[in-house]
Amino acid sequence: MKTFEEKWTAWLDGQLSDKELAEFEASLPDLEAAEAEKRDALRLGAFLKEQLAAQAMSNEEFFSHQLHQRIAHEREDRSRDRGTSTWWTIPRLVWSGAAALALFVITTVVLMSQHQPGEQSEYLTQILNSRVDPAANPNATIYIFESKNDNKVTVLWTEGLQSLPADYAAK
Amino acid sequence: MFFTLAISVASADAEHLVWSGLVIAENVPQPAPIPPELTTLEQTLKDLFGYNQFEVIGQSNKTLKTGEEDWLANSKYFGLHVDARGENDAGYTLNLKLYKENDVLLETDANLSKSSPLVIKGPQVGSGQLLLVLVVKDDEQAHRRRHAVLDCASMLGVRTTPVTR
Repeated sequence: MKTFEEKWTAWLDGQLSDKELAEFEASLPDLEAAEAEKRDALRLGAFLKEQLAAQAMSNEEFFSHQLHQRIAHEREDRSRDRGTSTWWTIPRLVWSGAAALALFVITTVVLMSQHQPGEQSEYLTQILNSRVDPAANPNATIYIFESKNDNKVTVLWTEGLQSLPADYAAK
Repeated sequence: MFFTLAISVASADAEHLVWSGLVIAENVPQPAPIPPELTTLEQTLKDLFGYNQFEVIGQSNKTLKTGEEDWLANSKYFGLHVDARGENDAGYTLNLKLYKENDVLLETDANLSKSSPLVIKGPQVGSGQLLLVLVVKDDEQAHRRRHAVLDCASMLGVRTTPVTR
């Protein structure tokens, strides 16, 4: 057995069968007032429906706004990451160091090959051979040496050459 | 207008001057100042031979262009004939002959380095000693010519590019 309120709600919603509708409307003391109240209730329902739909729309916008914020935030993070990362990444640093070291080694080898320590004698005067007239200077001997100072003088030292009078010192 | 003028500047290899000197070294009470050609060798000569005066009695300055020139440094009785027989990385190959009038006292072949003078101890002469000295120097005249060209080029606003051989 439905209560009055149930029947009233079903009447407002148009859910009563013909028999129930006839009985319910017959039970109402003022049908016109009830009809007016029904129209008001339907209008209110339509208004509420409309308002609820609008509220749902605002939620959607809010969600969309949140999404946009999140996307923007993520983009900002990405761009920040991109900005803070430099060209000098660790692998590049390692390769750059290796390349610099290789260049240094090659340069050193080239320079050292151009200035071999063994070639130092090339920068000193070399006596290839030397001779004195054995008939005039039978006891002559020859020595070759280099001075010990910075001048790098090469000396051909003769001993036993025939002495000459002072007159030979003339210009 | 901006262009490059390539000036062929002969390298130090080809523009050297060889100073050859006949020097009498002696010990005297009041030694004369050492000749300018021997200034850089003064202490070395004093240390080596123990004399306090070095007098040039004959000399020659020869600019080597081909490295195959020959020249003579003469005094009254001595003559030093130098025959350059080519240039190499170390310097010049020279044949040296020391004459006493017409006699050859000493003959030697040497590679004269551009950075290493050659000193030859010759015979005793009176109380002194005859020394033969050969030094390779940069040819200052060639330097001056080169600088004059470069200065001229600079005044004209011409950029120069030295070309070495």
